[in-house]
Amino acid sequence: MTQAINLDPAARAIKDIVTATRTGMEFPGPVVALEDASFHVKRGEFVSLIGPSGCGKSTLLRLVSGLIKPTAGHLNVFGELIAGPRAEIGMMFQKPTLLDWKSVFDNVLLPITLAGTVKKADRERALDLIHLVGLKGFEFSYPRQLSGGMQQRVALARLLNTGAELLLLDEPFGALDEFTRERLNLELLRIQSDLDATILFVTHNIQEAVFLADRVFVMTPRPGRLAATVNVPLPRPRTIEMTKSPEYNDLVFNIRDTLGGFI
Amino acid sequence: MSEQTIPLPAASASRTVPVWAQHLIVFVIFISIWELAVRNEWVSRLILPSPFAVIAAWWDLAIVKALIWKHFFVTLTEVVIGFLLGAGFGLLMAILSAMNMTFRRLISPYMVALQVTPRIAVAPIIVAWLGFNMEPKIAIAAIICFFPIFINSLTGLLQADDERLEMFESMRASRWQVFRHLQLPGAMPVIMAGFKTGISLALIGAIVGEFVSASVGIGVLIQRFSFQLLLPEAFACLIMLTVMGLLLYGTATFADRRVIFWKSDDLVTKSARKLRAKHAAMLASRADAKAE
Repeated sequence: MTQAINLDPAARAIKDIVTATRTGMEFPGPVVALEDASFHVKRGEFVSLIGPSGCGKSTLLRLVSGLIKPTAGHLNVFGELIAGPRAEIGMMFQKPTLLDWKSVFDNVLLPITLAGTVKKADRERALDLIHLVGLKGFEFSYPRQLSGGMQQRVALARLLNTGAELLLLDEPFGALDEFTRERLNLELLRIQSDLDATILFVTHNIQEAVFLADRVFVMTPRPGRLAATVNVPLPRPRTIEMTKSPEYNDLVFNIRDTLGGFI
Repeated sequence: MSEQTIPLPAASASRTVPVWAQHLIVFVIFISIWELAVRNEWVSRLILPSPFAVIAAWWDLAIVKALIWKHFFVTLTEVVIGFLLGAGFGLLMAILSAMNMTFRRLISPYMVALQVTPRIAVAPIIVAWLGFNMEPKIAIAAIICFFPIFINSLTGLLQADDERLEMFESMRASRWQVFRHLQLPGAMPVIMAGFKTGISLALIGAIVGEFVSASVGIGVLIQRFSFQLLLPEAFACLIMLTVMGLLLYGTATFADRRVIFWKSDDLVTKSARKLRAKHAAMLASRADAKAE
């Protein structure tokens, strides 16, 4: 399950954005949310984390984000032991978590507002990002005026405006309908290839996990473990037609088999 | 057949008679029954004055002698200043409690004590401390409206949901930024509801203060007229208090709607339109940049 990469540490620091070595997380109780997870995530890679609830996928994401600290093992992000949230890391949640009292524009500008003063170039970039996620015409609308899918697009634009290189997405489109989710997934892939971002994507939808990812981390619960790592050799850019291919369907069935006993 | 036709006239009537006219009809019926009750001596005139006697008394006090206004504005001033003090102090204590858990833990027994003690009971003590002018009434109004404002504000400030807090944390927001951009605006609906409760309580506080001891104020007039069994005059003063209450509550409701504009479809639409106009030049320039 661990892919040992024989590189010297300096080269690895450049290549690997995330390195986990027997990382574990135990919450008071005690509840073992994650046990003995070891993995690497390379620059520019898209990794899906999949598993039933309680498998520790959200815990793993929060560990990488620096919001919580592991109770066992090591976790290196950008070549350093993670000690707290970093500017290079951005997060997005299942709920849009927009500020209802700010317009789309001001919500997207929030990361800049928090970092310091907002300049003209920042405002223009915010508008460009709003257009990039397909919200032309809604730049100054308020969250109340938007559908759930549009609100998640705003959250995505805000995430991109953090300038983060490592994007952590926790079931970002899980609450949306099938059609909206499919469209947003395609847009996410397009944006990722434009920005060359590294993405960790939590989902409980196997098809979605395979469709998006270069690798799928399959996780199992009680205690949360990284059970398998599945490579997805489908070419990029990904298209909806690929979901009809035998390779794609084999991968989906393999993962379902691995998870079989736990679902 | 008749079963089907019965609801029709009622439905069409409610559609053709404007709402204000419906209210007027109810009001006229209410006043007529009151007048009839007094005229036919169903109730003694000494206990319940007739509506016309009340209007006559009000005309005399407000227009002919014009002596009620001085009292009206004294009471109004006491309420407004008392409310501002109580609201300011309540909000401040709530912010300190929300920001600092130790502070919250240490003051909480005193807050509970303050809540369970009938605050009206402190009125004579406050009068003993501060004398017979406006100060004790202001203080009583402030004390009475402080508590609901404090509790509402604290509840509101502590209710920010975990995901939004995590989002701010992941953007490395400072404590002050979390407060300024998330907690305070998020708490505004609950804080404003506290203000609305508080303004009505401040009016009660000022009147209680005037009952205990005062020479000016609507409370003083009501007490004096009641002692002299001049009930039409007392009722006229009561109506002035209703007017004052409506004025205060209306102002609070107006402010509430403006402050939490994001809860109203109309105001949000208006604000969005304003922002779009303000940034029109930048919007146009970005559209051009795309086209090139």
